[in-house]
Amino acid sequence: MISPEQAGIIIMLVGIYGLMAKREPVKLVLSINVVSLGLVLFFVGLAYSPGKDVPIMPTDPVDPLPATLMLTTLVVDVAITSLALAIIIRMRGEGE
Amino acid sequence: MIPLMAALPMLFAFIIVLLDVLHLRGPAIKAAFLLGAVLPIPVAWLSRGSSEVVGGWAREAGIEVALTETNLPFIVGELVLFVFVSVYSQGYFNPRDKKTPKVFALLLLAHAGLLGAFIARDLFNFYVYMEIASVSAFALMAFSEEKGAKGAAFKYLILSLLASYLFVFSIGLVYMETGYLNADLISKAAAPSRELGAAIAIATASLILKAGIFPLHGWLPDAHSRAPTPVSALLSGAVVKAPAYGMILMFSALPAGEPLRFILLAVAVVSIFFGIAMALLQKDAKRLLAYHTVSQMGYVLLGIASLNFVGAAYYAMAHSIFKGGLFLAVGSISTRSRKLGEFGYRNAPVMAASILMLSLAIGGISPFIGAYAKSLISSELGGWWKLAVYLGTIGTLMSFTKLNYHLMRGVSPQLKGAWKLSSLGLALAALLSGLILGAGINPKDALGIAIAVGLFAALKASGLLERGHPAPPRDVGREVNLMAMTLVAAIVLLMLLG
Repeated sequence: MISPEQAGIIIMLVGIYGLMAKREPVKLVLSINVVSLGLVLFFVGLAYSPGKDVPIMPTDPVDPLPATLMLTTLVVDVAITSLALAIIIRMRGEGE
Repeated sequence: MIPLMAALPMLFAFIIVLLDVLHLRGPAIKAAFLLGAVLPIPVAWLSRGSSEVVGGWAREAGIEVALTETNLPFIVGELVLFVFVSVYSQGYFNPRDKKTPKVFALLLLAHAGLLGAFIARDLFNFYVYMEIASVSAFALMAFSEEKGAKGAAFKYLILSLLASYLFVFSIGLVYMETGYLNADLISKAAAPSRELGAAIAIATASLILKAGIFPLHGWLPDAHSRAPTPVSALLSGAVVKAPAYGMILMFSALPAGEPLRFILLAVAVVSIFFGIAMALLQKDAKRLLAYHTVSQMGYVLLGIASLNFVGAAYYAMAHSIFKGGLFLAVGSISTRSRKLGEFGYRNAPVMAASILMLSLAIGGISPFIGAYAKSLISSELGGWWKLAVYLGTIGTLMSFTKLNYHLMRGVSPQLKGAWKLSSLGLALAALLSGLILGAGINPKDALGIAIAVGLFAALKASGLLERGHPAPPRDVGREVNLMAMTLVAAIVLLMLLG
């Protein structure tokens, strides 16, 4: 079995492969989204340890911080994706 | 009190958006913009030298912000530059245009992001604010009407974002190893290990990309030359400094091995000379300045790699002031054409004086701020590296001799008062800050200028400068592929050799 961290790193590598191999702008945006999903999985995996409690009124909790950090990264990802798509539409309009 | 430095510009950015929605255009928006630009200055003055944890939590649990010896120069450089950029923008963006309030809001968000990144002592908090600044920068660039600007913005966006995600990944590795995000706490808990070695390699490579240092500079010349002039000044002057501060945070927190630092010193020197060589070949004035950013960020990296953080910080401040000023001044006189030889400052004495002063400042001539910053950088370097700094000075002066040679012959279109004011203001700032910090007058500089002018005349006579620089490939996707490959190769090399 591979751990969630390792799975996260593999997914990030898939996304980076996309950035190196695909030339259509939309595919590049999708690849960057794949990288960010791998990153989120990596962080969530960091905090997880089997047998520990949820971090709400806990006795022996998992570390809640990495998951919280990822909320910020997800927000950045959504904002950037919309901006990137808007720029792609403008690029098409210019005929580049 | 310190967090207000980032909070106030952000508040006024939201107020501008609100006023825009309510159709209260004109003076109200202008006032909100200027308030957001200048209010961080008194806050910085009142809280200098202090540090605090936001919300009064314990240091382990909270987010620490501080104004220290290392980040104060970054902040001063950013504040000085932004004040003049905001004055300049008043004369640049048409107040009746529907886009203008959005541009002002984005400029303030970039201001907030930069200040927030510079005060951060916590790696993740630094990342968040650096992203606010970069995202605003992408959007601001996309506002440019120029052909090719959208493609440049797209390239910058994808590569900068990839670098940011890799940087967050390395923060994750650091957190996994040490359990902290605060730079000071990490430095106490960090013991050298393979994971931390990988983390520092990934973080360094991705921050080098974001700072636009050779060989990961590919996005920079297009991005900085095609953006609207005030945005170019902000991008080149301040936005590339945030990753440099990130490197300082990383290197002060984690033990950097001798081999890694040696590689970085070598990269810095190559970046200095590559930037100068490319700048000498450019025909487009703003592109020439953009390549000098690649070269000048090499000096900042020299400071960081020799663990001379204060020197790097002062160099970053100096570069903010003179490069921002150069972009504003050259951008103002080249509104019709940016091709060297088709415009100039012959009919604009104020611009001529500002550009000449700023050229001397970037060349490290005393008593300008550049001389003080260069002496700080070379104070911690060994013999051969010091020679590189000196030769870099000659190269920079040579390239600026070329710029001024062409500018002296041309005339400029009509100039606005705000444009002259901000160009001259930054030129005087470069002079005054040099005098205050005690750069002194060094008669040997005259020799440097003479050598540079002589070399330029020789190069010009040999006809090497007339060689056309081959046009870069047009396809945006392919360029992104290549740069992503270079980034991955850089990370792998740093991991193996560092």
